[in-house]
Amino acid sequence: MKHLHIITRILSAIILLAAASATQGCHPIEEWDDNPRGNFEALWTILDEHYCFFAEKEVDWQAIHDEYARKVSNKMTSKELFYVCADMLNELRDGHTNLSASFNTSYYRKWWSDYPQNYSERLVEQYYLNFNFLSAAGFDYAVLPQNIGYVRYSSFSAGIGEGNLDEVLMYLNTCDGLIIDIRDNGGGSMSNVETLVRRFITSRTLAGYISHKTGPGHNDFSEPYPYYFDPAERGRVMWGKPVVVLTSRGTFSAANNFVSVMKYIPEVTIVGARTGGGSGMPFNSELPNGWGVRFSACSVLDCKGQTTEFGIDPTPGCAIDLDPQAALLGHDTILDFAIARLTSGI
Amino acid sequence: MMKKFILLLAGMLSAYGVKASEPAMPDSIVRPVTSHFTYSIGSALIANTYLTPLKYHGWGMLLGYDRTQAMRLRPEKLVQRIAAGLDIDRTENPAGNASMWRLTGDFSYGVNYRWRLPYEITVAGGVSTGIDLGVVYNNRNGNNPVAVEAAWTVNVTGAVMWRHTLVGKKVLFTYRPTIPLTGVFFSPDYGELFYEISLGNHSGLAHCAWWGNYFRMENLLTADIALGGTQLRLGFRNSILSTRVNNITTRVVTCAAVIGVGGTWMSVNPYKGISPDARIISATY
Repeated sequence: MKHLHIITRILSAIILLAAASATQGCHPIEEWDDNPRGNFEALWTILDEHYCFFAEKEVDWQAIHDEYARKVSNKMTSKELFYVCADMLNELRDGHTNLSASFNTSYYRKWWSDYPQNYSERLVEQYYLNFNFLSAAGFDYAVLPQNIGYVRYSSFSAGIGEGNLDEVLMYLNTCDGLIIDIRDNGGGSMSNVETLVRRFITSRTLAGYISHKTGPGHNDFSEPYPYYFDPAERGRVMWGKPVVVLTSRGTFSAANNFVSVMKYIPEVTIVGARTGGGSGMPFNSELPNGWGVRFSACSVLDCKGQTTEFGIDPTPGCAIDLDPQAALLGHDTILDFAIARLTSGI
Repeated sequence: MMKKFILLLAGMLSAYGVKASEPAMPDSIVRPVTSHFTYSIGSALIANTYLTPLKYHGWGMLLGYDRTQAMRLRPEKLVQRIAAGLDIDRTENPAGNASMWRLTGDFSYGVNYRWRLPYEITVAGGVSTGIDLGVVYNNRNGNNPVAVEAAWTVNVTGAVMWRHTLVGKKVLFTYRPTIPLTGVFFSPDYGELFYEISLGNHSGLAHCAWWGNYFRMENLLTADIALGGTQLRLGFRNSILSTRVNNITTRVVTCAAVIGVGGTWMSVNPYKGISPDARIISATY
C-alpha cells in the first residue's frame, strides 16, 4: 500500500503538471493585440530584438518608437497604420527592410535613388553587343571587338549551373580579359556567389565572416565566423586572366557580397560606382494582422572583417559614373573605362 | 602458458558442445506481444519564435505504432514497450494568410516496473529513451523558412491500467504519461541562419535538456476493447512540447482522438515448442 500511495501522488502531480502546461505552456511567448497599437508594438519589438545594424547606423530605436507611437491610435485605418509603420522602418535606411500588406510593400529606395543611374541595358545591348549575344543560366555574354569577354549577370537569383559556367568560360577563353557586369544586380542567392567566385580562385580563400545575433539586445552578436570558398573541382573551366567587375549603386545584397569577395582576388579590378551595400542577411517575421516584415538580421562582413552595409568602393582610381551625355551618343563610360583598362594591360 | 590457454579453450568448447547437444527445453514461460497501429487526428498549436512570434492553430494527425511485451528478465514485473510515430500538423497564423507545417517522427524504447493491485488495476513506472526528428516549415519566410526539431531524451514513463468488462466486452483502460527528464536537443542560435550552419559553424547547436529549457509531456488515454482476437483501440492523445533556449521559444500542443487496431500474439520457437504447463505472462495485465 505504501507503493500505491507514492504512485498515486506521482500520478496526481503529473496530471496537474499536464493541465498547467496545456493551458499556459512552460515558457511564455509575448503576444500583442490585433489592433493598430498592438501591431505597431509588435513591429517595433521584432525589429528591436532582431535587427542587426542599429549601432552601425547610429539609430536610436527607442526614440523612434516614442516618435512614431504618438502617431498610432486604435481608431486609425489599416492603410494609415501601414504608412506610419513604413515611415518608421525607413528610419533604418535599409534596402532589406520591408513591410508587406495585401495592398502594398514598403521599400526604402533612397539607398539607390539618390545616386546616379549608372547602367542602361539598352545602351550596352545596342552599342556594344549589337543585339548579338548568347544567353544561358542568367548570363548574357559575348566577345567584344577588342577581344574582351563580356558577361552580364543581372540577378543572383538566377541559378548558375556548373555546366553553364563551363560553357560560358570556354566560349570566352580566347579573350584577353573578362568583364563581369553586375550593375543594378539587386542580389539573390549567396550560393550563386560561391559558385561564380570558385572559377576565379586557385586555392582556399577566406570569403568573409558572418556574425549573427545571440539575443535580443542591440549588442548581442556572435564572434564573426570565417567562411571560405574553395576553387571549382578539377576538370572545370577556370579563369586566370584579368577580370573587371562593373558595379553601380544598384549592386546590392548578394551582388554586393560578390564584389566584397572578388575585390581581394588578384587580377580583379572593381570599376564603376560604390555598391549599394545590403550586407545584412534578411529574416522574415509577421504581425498579428498578417502583415509580413523583412529586415536585416545577420551581418556578413568582408574578409578584412569590415562591414559592407554601406557599400564597397571601386578599386582606387577606378571610380567612374555613366555620363548621360555620352550615353546619348552610344557610349557607356563605365564599360569604356573597363575595356581600356583591360586592353592597356594596367 | 600456451598449453594452459589451449586447455582452457578446449574446455570451453566442450562445455558449449555439451550444452548444444542437449535437447531444447520447451518454453515454460510465454510472453505474448501486444501491439497496436493507431491513427490520431485533432487540433494542433505551433509556436516557434525563430520563425514567427505568432501562435499558429490548425489540425494535426499522427500514425502510431506501439508494442509491449513482458521482459525475459523478471517477466512478472518488467515490461518493455517500443513506440513509434509519424506526426504531421498544418496550422495557420491568426490572420489566415500564412501556414506552418510540422512533420516529425519519433521512436522510443522503454522498460516499466509494474505492480498488480486489487480490482484488476496495474500500475507501472519506469524509464524510456527515444529520439524525435522533424522540421517546422513556414511558407512565408525567405532565409529562415525552417526550424529543425531533433532530440534524444531519457524519459520517465508510467502507466495505469484497469481491466473491466463493459456490455460483455473486456476492456482495458490505460493512461500512459511520458515526460523527458534529460537528453540532448538541437537549436540554432537566436539569429543564426541555417546558411551559416551549412558553412560549417556547428558550435552551440546541441543543448543539454532539462525541464527549464525542454519540457515535453505526452498523455495517452486509451480503451482497448476486445473483439474476438482483435482489439479496437479508442482514446485520446495529448502532447505538449515547450522549449526555450538561445532566447528561442517553441511550443507545440496537440490534442487528438485516437482510433486503432491491435492484437496479442505469441512468438514461439518451433524448435522448442511450448511446455504444456507453460505460464503466459501478458504485458498488459
